[in-house]
Amino acid sequence: MARIAGVNIPTNKRVTVSLRYIYGIGPSKAQEICGRLGIPAERRVNQLSDDDVLRIREVIDREYRVEGDLRREVAMNIKRLMDLGCYRGLRHRRGLPVHGQRTHTNARTRKGKAVPIAGKKKVTK
Amino acid sequence: MARSVWKGPFIDGYLLNKAETARASGRNEIIRIWSRRSTILPQFVGLTFGVYNGHKFLPVQVNENMVGHKFGEFSPTRTFTGHSADKKARRS
Repeated sequence: MARIAGVNIPTNKRVTVSLRYIYGIGPSKAQEICGRLGIPAERRVNQLSDDDVLRIREVIDREYRVEGDLRREVAMNIKRLMDLGCYRGLRHRRGLPVHGQRTHTNARTRKGKAVPIAGKKKVTK
Repeated sequence: MARSVWKGPFIDGYLLNKAETARASGRNEIIRIWSRRSTILPQFVGLTFGVYNGHKFLPVQVNENMVGHKFGEFSPTRTFTGHSADKKARRS
């Protein structure tokens, strides 16, 4: 078990895969890290030496913004938009899609689960 | 896709003159503009613009956080107040 960047404990998967369990590291960054440290792609986390784990941890701590820091940055950016009173901020405040998507239908990710219109006539017969 | 940096920010040229004369005149009255597509530049900070939304001029007090956004972003063009829930219930 290896702890990298705080709480993350990736398992007996390939290094490139398990690094992606860290918030802020996706496929390309995981590969970038492995490439820079010279870790072969098919190496699994439990086969890593303690030294390698240490180097991974160091690189991530030094050069990547992950987990809490990244989350805070994203939240700050959204908060900035909301405080500014601009259109994108309004959309965030109302919980509607921000990038100009349609809301006539769909947009369920932002709007949440569909709520039936209150008092709509029930079909009898 | 984002605009190329080498082009610089887009702005309708007459806005610069308008802002300058407003600065020179001292009193910060609302500068009425229709150019919603123009970028807010650092030299506009502190001025108040009336940005047209197709209906009226909404006052926008420019602060330094707004630099880089467009004027139109601060003047919503649509009014949506929400659906009233009880209307249908009463009818049936």
